[in-house]
Amino acid sequence: MTTNLVPDDRRSLTLRLSVLQYTVAAAFALLAVGFWIFQIAQHEKFAEMAENNQLRRLPLPAPRGVLLDRSGKVLVENQDTINIAIVREQTKNLGDVLRTLAAATGVPEAQLRDTVNRRRREPTYRPIVLIENATREQYIAVWARRLELPGIVAEEVPARRYPASDLAAHLFGYVGEVTQAQLQRPEYDGVEPGSIVGQAGVELAYNKLLMGIDGSKTVVVNSQNREIKQLEEQLPTTGHPLELTLDSDLQKATDDAYTAAGFNGAAVVVDPRNGEVLAFTSRPAYDPNEFAAGIKPAAWNALTSDNLKPLQNRALQSRYPPGSTFKPAVGLAGLEEGVITPNFTVHCSGSANFYGRNFACWKKGGHGTVNLKTAIEQSCDVFFYTVGNMLGIDKINKWATLLGLGVKSNIDLPGELVGLVPSTKWKQETRHEKWYAGETISVAIGQGQVNVTPVSMAVYAATLANGGTRITPHIIKAADDGTGLKPLPEPPPQSKIDVSPEKLEAIRQGMWGVVNGGGTGGRARIEGHDVCGKTGTAQVVSNANRRLLQQKYKDVDYRDNGWFIFFAPRDNPTIAGAVFLEHGLHGPNAASVAHHILATYFAKVDGKPLPPPPTHEDLHLDYKDPYARPGGVATEAGGQ
Amino acid sequence: MFERRLYFHIDWLLLGAILLLSGVGVAMIYSTTYVPAPTGGHPGTQPLTQLYALGIGIVALLVCLAIDYRVFAEHSLFVYGSLLVLLIFVLIKGQTQMGGQRWIPIGPFHLQPSEFGRICVALVLAMYFGENRRGAKNPSDLIIGGVLTLIPLLLIAKQPDLGTAVTLLPVFVGVAFLAGLRLRLLGVLALAGILVSPIAWKFALKDYQRQRILTFMDPEKDPQNTGYQTIQARITVGSGGFKGKGFLHGTQGQYKFLPVAHNDFIFSVLAEEQGFIGVLGALGLYLFVILRSLEAARLAKDRLGAYLVGGIITGFAFQVVYNVTMSAGLAPVKGITLPLMSYGGSSLIATLAGFGLVLNVRMRRFTN
Repeated sequence: MTTNLVPDDRRSLTLRLSVLQYTVAAAFALLAVGFWIFQIAQHEKFAEMAENNQLRRLPLPAPRGVLLDRSGKVLVENQDTINIAIVREQTKNLGDVLRTLAAATGVPEAQLRDTVNRRRREPTYRPIVLIENATREQYIAVWARRLELPGIVAEEVPARRYPASDLAAHLFGYVGEVTQAQLQRPEYDGVEPGSIVGQAGVELAYNKLLMGIDGSKTVVVNSQNREIKQLEEQLPTTGHPLELTLDSDLQKATDDAYTAAGFNGAAVVVDPRNGEVLAFTSRPAYDPNEFAAGIKPAAWNALTSDNLKPLQNRALQSRYPPGSTFKPAVGLAGLEEGVITPNFTVHCSGSANFYGRNFACWKKGGHGTVNLKTAIEQSCDVFFYTVGNMLGIDKINKWATLLGLGVKSNIDLPGELVGLVPSTKWKQETRHEKWYAGETISVAIGQGQVNVTPVSMAVYAATLANGGTRITPHIIKAADDGTGLKPLPEPPPQSKIDVSPEKLEAIRQGMWGVVNGGGTGGRARIEGHDVCGKTGTAQVVSNANRRLLQQKYKDVDYRDNGWFIFFAPRDNPTIAGAVFLEHGLHGPNAASVAHHILATYFAKVDGKPLPPPPTHEDLHLDYKDPYARPGGVATEAGGQ
Repeated sequence: MFERRLYFHIDWLLLGAILLLSGVGVAMIYSTTYVPAPTGGHPGTQPLTQLYALGIGIVALLVCLAIDYRVFAEHSLFVYGSLLVLLIFVLIKGQTQMGGQRWIPIGPFHLQPSEFGRICVALVLAMYFGENRRGAKNPSDLIIGGVLTLIPLLLIAKQPDLGTAVTLLPVFVGVAFLAGLRLRLLGVLALAGILVSPIAWKFALKDYQRQRILTFMDPEKDPQNTGYQTIQARITVGSGGFKGKGFLHGTQGQYKFLPVAHNDFIFSVLAEEQGFIGVLGALGLYLFVILRSLEAARLAKDRLGAYLVGGIITGFAFQVVYNVTMSAGLAPVKGITLPLMSYGGSSLIATLAGFGLVLNVRMRRFTN
């Protein structure tokens, strides 16, 4: 056959076969090197990637600690809600999935996309919650279309519930997703992005105790995310339950009274013996339940764009002139500094002249000759102009500060602002100006430069009540560390002065007379219990300016603010507080609100049935507003 | 026809290595298709199917061994013609599956004629160049050989199954090279290929094929779609480490992170479960099979035998090298199976038949 190999061919073939053999061997050697690089040199990286493929760590969120009132009643609790989340690494086409999810649940697609975009930097295996607190309908719709929704998971999580809705909303605060700024701070170490943390009130102040420790379970899944087996499970640890000093009955009474009155404002009620906060309100309030499962953007916008600022905690963060409620501080300063005695008298003819300027008393005809007790009872401006003038601003400042005004109360809630009681030093430092003695006259009746927060007014009332101990108001009574509620140590008082009983007695007599002796606070009277108090009607702007401003800004409320500070019973008081009505026109209106609080308190003490929530008519509010009309008397004058 | 003394010239070592690789393939298919469940799990149906194919493949090998390869060569045009008929038949009436029209159903089996393309082309080219005294030194012979290769190649590419079609090229190059193709000409051909590739890119490739190549260049760009397989292949191989995760303990294939791994990515799973050691073992076996087969070509009695073995083995080697590269995520994903190990009856049967011819050439090196 011709095809047999001749030697020439043989040589060429052998050579070419060798070329083939060496080529193949070289290729195999390269392959071996390639596998060595992946399997040996980069093994750890790929091993981790393989684990990420098949292992899923599913967080088991810890329920937050419940909040109890002082009698053990549950104020804030948790309930399971369904969150719908996305695990992006299981989603091939994110856009399609979000579109389908939006169609199935009725949530705007743009909102879903925003949520994902905001957290796009996080690892793709970590779920991003898209719909918090999903409805049953949404859950069913997602389940029915689960094949079109790869990567969409529904998880049951405990969410905060506030059974009494907006009751004490500013005290409890609200929860929300931890912010980027918070994650940077050391106290949020170990908190995962997307975690729910306290964002205001007790929820924020005691977040660490309340949060608990999230658990997790690790499961093996296949590429369709079907769970194949569970490897380990770590159950979550519930946060510490906290017992508050709050008395839920008194809290409800406070809010009921505000609702009946129809005014905004703030009230703080404390136990003057130890500083325990019994009731705490700020109005208008919000419903913290709206935040519990992630606040809807529309609801958030409504809250933040509201001119009345419902998110602002007026008890801690708003400052107003105290008006006539400041008078007991001036009276006590006069006694303590020895510039007056309880029997010191002043003749009030309706106005008085200081430093060439006429200062009017609120009572046009004047009070006649008044001593300290009557001056407090009747809230005589001329008497306190005179005493204030004799004291000078720095002595007023000294005693007001010792009583708790113009300083922080250091309550255990976040965001407290400090009020102001002026002094020559203050004016020099901030305005670089000398203090004029004429300025002291207005301050003596709680107008002018002085302003205070409602919580500091509650401390002031408590200090007058307990004889000079500036207690530290606080909210938390006990914490449960897992072995039952353990009382927390009481915070020490901020300062303590020894006021001589007879001097204090003169002030107390006056304040008793305000309520029980035909004074301006008669509406706060409780039969059988010696309520002491002081009303205050404080101008928002001076009466002269008010008419001009009102013509210019028709929508702005320039009506006077109403104050009432109180403590009871007169001897060995157990309750003290401050009620503030924003644009409440008159101090006596605040006394009407305080009446329901005190009536509820003493009904409880006496073991009687609690009074029903008052109606608007029950409060007999005074809506007279002489300065609203053009032609009102335009003189400097403090209210009642 | 089968003389008794031929029995002693069978290359038992090569045959053993081939059967060992096939057995390893069945085991890897068993592991890859095992259906995991929280309680136990159960094997898939594929290993049994592959065992049947292995049985048929051994029969095919024996047939190809028993009949003198020169007899096959004499009928090579008939064999080649039959292949073209089957390929045309597939295009008209074949069964469509996984985006290609590749299969002819025969009873319970599905025949994939394109898998037999390589031996048929090797046979007809070996015959053409072997009977030709000039070898492959003349460009006109080269063109005829090229046309013989291109006709089935285009028919297979039309299915479309570009991966299998491309495996015919190394068969042609292998035979032509052994037949004395000048290296300069080979260079010209390669250059022409490079020049034609942009045109092919534009007109011949389908969108999904272009996408695959683009993705291979940058798998992270599109990790969810076509880049997915490349990334997962690397993870599968890399996570195996030195000793591997152990038989049935691979997670990438069983949990389907690497899709249809028992098919094109069987070597990835081997790397995952048996580790670098297993990879070296398997690569060693394949290298042994290739080098030993090329020895058969060297020993061949005639040019026909040498070219036949050369064509079959170049095609085989190309498939192995490409598939193994791809299974490490180092080459674009193409439908090129790993001969002897990948799941697929037609591929296994055709490959074993091809080795039947290789053994045949070696066995008959002394006969006339």
